[in-house]
Amino acid sequence: MSEETRFYGSETSEEVIRTESLTKIFNSHLVAVDHVNFDVKRGEILGFLGPNGAGKTTTIVEAFNLKKTYLLGKVPVNALRGVNLKVESGDFLAILGPSGSGKSTLLNLIGALDKPTEGKMLIEGVDVSTLNDGQLANLRRRIGFVFQFFNLIPRFTARENVELPMAIAGLSGADRRKRAEDLLETVGLKERMNHKPAELSGGEQQRVAIARALANNPKFLLMDEPTGNIDSKTANEIICLIKRLNEDKAVTIMMVTHDQHLAGQSKRIVQMVDGSIIREGVN
Amino acid sequence: MKAQDILSYSFGAIRLRKLRAGLTTLGVVIGIAAIVALLSITQGLQATITRQLQTGFATNTLIVSTGGGFGAGFGPGAETGGAANSGFKLFINATQKISNLNNTNVETSMAIIQRAGWVGNGTTNRTTTIVGVNFTEYASIYSSTFVAESGTNGTIPLNPENETIVVGKRVSDPWKNETLFCNVNGDVEIIWINATTLPPKNETYAGHVAAVLKEIGGFGVFGPSDSSVYVPISQAQSFFGTEECNTIIVKLKNDDDATIDNVSNAIKEAFSDQVSVTSATAVRNILSSVFSIIQLFLTGIAAISLLVAGIGIMNIMIVSLMERTREIGILKALGMKNQTVLLVFLCESVIIGLIGAAIGIASGWVLANVVAVVFRGGGLFMGNQAATTGGMTITPLLTPTVTILALVFGVGVSAVFALYPAWRASKLKPVEALRYE
Repeated sequence: MSEETRFYGSETSEEVIRTESLTKIFNSHLVAVDHVNFDVKRGEILGFLGPNGAGKTTTIVEAFNLKKTYLLGKVPVNALRGVNLKVESGDFLAILGPSGSGKSTLLNLIGALDKPTEGKMLIEGVDVSTLNDGQLANLRRRIGFVFQFFNLIPRFTARENVELPMAIAGLSGADRRKRAEDLLETVGLKERMNHKPAELSGGEQQRVAIARALANNPKFLLMDEPTGNIDSKTANEIICLIKRLNEDKAVTIMMVTHDQHLAGQSKRIVQMVDGSIIREGVN
Repeated sequence: MKAQDILSYSFGAIRLRKLRAGLTTLGVVIGIAAIVALLSITQGLQATITRQLQTGFATNTLIVSTGGGFGAGFGPGAETGGAANSGFKLFINATQKISNLNNTNVETSMAIIQRAGWVGNGTTNRTTTIVGVNFTEYASIYSSTFVAESGTNGTIPLNPENETIVVGKRVSDPWKNETLFCNVNGDVEIIWINATTLPPKNETYAGHVAAVLKEIGGFGVFGPSDSSVYVPISQAQSFFGTEECNTIIVKLKNDDDATIDNVSNAIKEAFSDQVSVTSATAVRNILSSVFSIIQLFLTGIAAISLLVAGIGIMNIMIVSLMERTREIGILKALGMKNQTVLLVFLCESVIIGLIGAAIGIASGWVLANVVAVVFRGGGLFMGNQAATTGGMTITPLLTPTVTILALVFGVGVSAVFALYPAWRASKLKPVEALRYE
């Protein structure tokens, strides 16, 4: 924890608060307070200054008063009604909410698949609304998507599916192939890499999709109900894989889910209802 | 995305829908094959006809006739100007008028009287053209073709008797098998139907064959022909009972365009624009422009089938676009740019166009040859005439230009018709595309 603390005030009077090596760790890995010592004396006014979330992390995603209205037939639907959100690197955010609460819309905006009607969506400080189609495409190459229905290309083998984003980014040759194989090994599918999606189980397909999402060293992973279409036993494996990616490889993950159990594995939960965030919490 | 990856992606998409891609390709194949077949046949025909015309072709001659230019060869009646209808007649002594021009470019001129008739050897009669010419002058103008066959086939008589005739090779040897219809020093019957009397009656006389011409080939439109019988002009005058000639052939000092124009104008002026003057060279040029028009017309018709193929491509690409909306959404979510999506779709269509054009060119060529064989063997329009006169054999001609044009055309049509579907694919919104079921 590199948060800087300063003390303001006089030099006399007795201490009211004294801390010694104050530490707080959330969920066994997110260190919020790390061995902080300070005293507060009578009559003192104490202020804490410093950036949000402190120096170990950088802000990746920042949303200000995000609104999205789209037309369902002729009826305008306010999918998002002013969402503010900030995600730091290394975070594992779960967005929870009933269907129609706007969580998928939020995820699409974060993934630069869509532009907000109002408000600002910053990815690494860049306002998505100001980007043209080509720049958006370039941005998407550095965002890893994992979809509920896997969305693999059926005629490609697992390896070719993982290679696809790299091919789109202009990579070719042996490096691309090697990286695809390595990624499939990471998700435990190396021996199945020459199978097409139709020959793989749902869980396996989703693991291929995760490997594909990781192909271009993404800034973060976006997951839309990653276990929504998988039986619960396999879902557990996927959850473990996702957690491992976040903890061991420090991959930032934002995930939309219905699944309370899956949400419970995240570091942070955002609860959405009717296009607004009604509650934010830390696990 | 690298070109190679785009190509293999497009190819993969085509392979996934083999039947559909195959049928679409078939459309292109038919269109291109039709164009290639028609073009190579007409080009072959043009080459054949030009070659035939040029056989025994004297570029330094002018043909003066009444009526239209083509009247010279194909009979009177072409209506250029009012000449044909004005009742103007060209007489044999008109050559005198041409000599009187004292034009330094004119070497000599001679009149020709010709009628359709028959030649008989006592057993059978064969149709022929009876041509009355001055043997000496005719031989000097057509020095390479109006010559007797070497060997025992006689010589062209310089001062022929009235009964003396010279026959073309096909008159003497019509079946090309050494079974002769008539031979040198033999006598044949010359027959003509005189329609100036009522009722029309056959006029005949016995001609004595002095020489058989060497084989010329070609149509003999602008000069000696294999299937004509040549008689002295004085004999023609009395036999046909006329002073009127069909054409006057003017031999020039050279075949420069300026010379041809100069003399043509001088002659027209001398005859008060009552005659038409045709240069053999001009006829050849007219013919080739006529062929260009025919080619354009036929290619246009064939192009319609290619157009239909193009619409087929467009149709199939739009269906494909709808089926693959989700796939396009995935590609876009993975960061594929709009123009790359456009290229992927265009590439699919171009591959189809390329394969279709290649197969189309090959099958068009085969088709052209099949047609040529049918023409040659079983007379579609030339009939048995083709076989007996030995005239027309079409050798289809496939020039590199036609090949390349067909290829470019096939690929071009495919690309153009895929533009709209490809553009639509490239403009799909990723969110909507991903949601598409």
